[in-house]
Amino acid sequence: MQYRHVQAIGGKGAASDRFTATLRGLAVDVHGQLYAAGDSEIKVFDAAGRLKRRWPTTSPVHSVAVASDGAVYAGQVGQIEIFDGLGKLLDTWRDAKLFGPVTAIGFTKDSVLAADVADRAIRRFDRSRKFLNNIGKDNQVKGLLIPNGVVDFAVDAHDTIYAANPGKHRIEKYTPDGELLGHIGRFDGIDPAGFTGCCNPTNVAVRDAIFTTEKAGPRVKSYDFTGKLLAVIATDLFDANCKNMSIAVDARNRVYVADTVKLEIFVFEPVNV
Amino acid sequence: MSQDLTRRDLFAKVGRGTVLAVLAGGAGFLVKKANGQVVWQVNASRCINSRLGEVGVEACNLCTTECVVALSAVRAVNEYSKCGRCNICPAYFNISSAVNEQGQPSEKLCPREAIARKPIGKVDPEDPANNFYEYIIDEEKCDGCGKCVMKCKDPLGLGSITLRVRYDKCVNCNSCSISRACPQNALMQLPVEQALQPVVLKRTG
Repeated sequence: MQYRHVQAIGGKGAASDRFTATLRGLAVDVHGQLYAAGDSEIKVFDAAGRLKRRWPTTSPVHSVAVASDGAVYAGQVGQIEIFDGLGKLLDTWRDAKLFGPVTAIGFTKDSVLAADVADRAIRRFDRSRKFLNNIGKDNQVKGLLIPNGVVDFAVDAHDTIYAANPGKHRIEKYTPDGELLGHIGRFDGIDPAGFTGCCNPTNVAVRDAIFTTEKAGPRVKSYDFTGKLLAVIATDLFDANCKNMSIAVDARNRVYVADTVKLEIFVFEPVNV
Repeated sequence: MSQDLTRRDLFAKVGRGTVLAVLAGGAGFLVKKANGQVVWQVNASRCINSRLGEVGVEACNLCTTECVVALSAVRAVNEYSKCGRCNICPAYFNISSAVNEQGQPSEKLCPREAIARKPIGKVDPEDPANNFYEYIIDEEKCDGCGKCVMKCKDPLGLGSITLRVRYDKCVNCNSCSISRACPQNALMQLPVEQALQPVVLKRTG
């Protein structure tokens, strides 16, 4: 499979559709709207890349996710702010013990998941916010191996959790209860099917395939669910100093990737060849 | 009174003052030298091997080739509090070499084999990727070539390895030959207390 670069959204600057200092999280909703978490703000873009709305968060935002009811979750240090789709603040979920920097948020059918990078774990809560269990923490090294400062994960339609474990050069598959089901990925500095560097992949998304981003050098790839490389989607568009590039995929398999240095969102489309 | 000052007196006073100033300055310099108050140190935010934003370039080895001390008074130092203790460390392995049966790069990066790798903490013999590793630099072997520094820096690594002047080796030349050669002006004379502070990398330029 091949992809082509079709669009660039945002960029560095003071304009309303641009980012000043950070671009950390991406998500897409069922309508194909793109949500970007950057600076202390959530920005919503339509499928054509036009800014539809934006609203502030109370502190710098590290991640964004959209629940099935349309509520927008914005992960910050020690808290998650929950907004409706128009940006009205519905609630602030604080947990000084279980939330460090919340670098990813996701949902299973009956629970909310939040990545706590301070403890290198994914926290699972029920819908009433009662803590249920950790995911990725009860291993030999008491947590995902995260030298890069971001815990990222994605959830598929069957509630399987795909967590990036960059220190092991793997994407690990977990049940919501935290049972490790297996992994894909291996280290390789030559073969593009492998993950290179000290710690890759840093970020992950799941749709019809598993999508990953890597740092040094920045690279976007897709794999099938057995771990076979499907495509190297992009390499040379990104600033060489990029790392922890958030990735999101919409229902049409359009791939959105955040360049964390240029503060730009690059959009890729599959090409039928 | 000044009207009474003869030309000879004036010259004598100026001469004495000048001699005293020179002597005082020289003594101060010697005291400073003796106390080691001003020493050479690498500014990691200027050194091309460690400064942020500098990717895709070859490591600079002028600290090795220019220093008058055998091997060099500059050595690579790993600050353990910053080290990620990674399974695959790009400063230890040549990450572009072929993968061996253990799933690791088959070649090491350091041409002098000056870095040792050992698992720390609870060790999982079944899965080596499940362990933390400590990377120890043997400073007697290191010649400060900077290759490991270049590979350790962000975004590839965490920037825990930097080049540092070792004062048991440095002879504190008045005009350091590395500083004369360094195109980045990364070798600086600093007060001891400043030179010994932990490295804080700042983005420059």
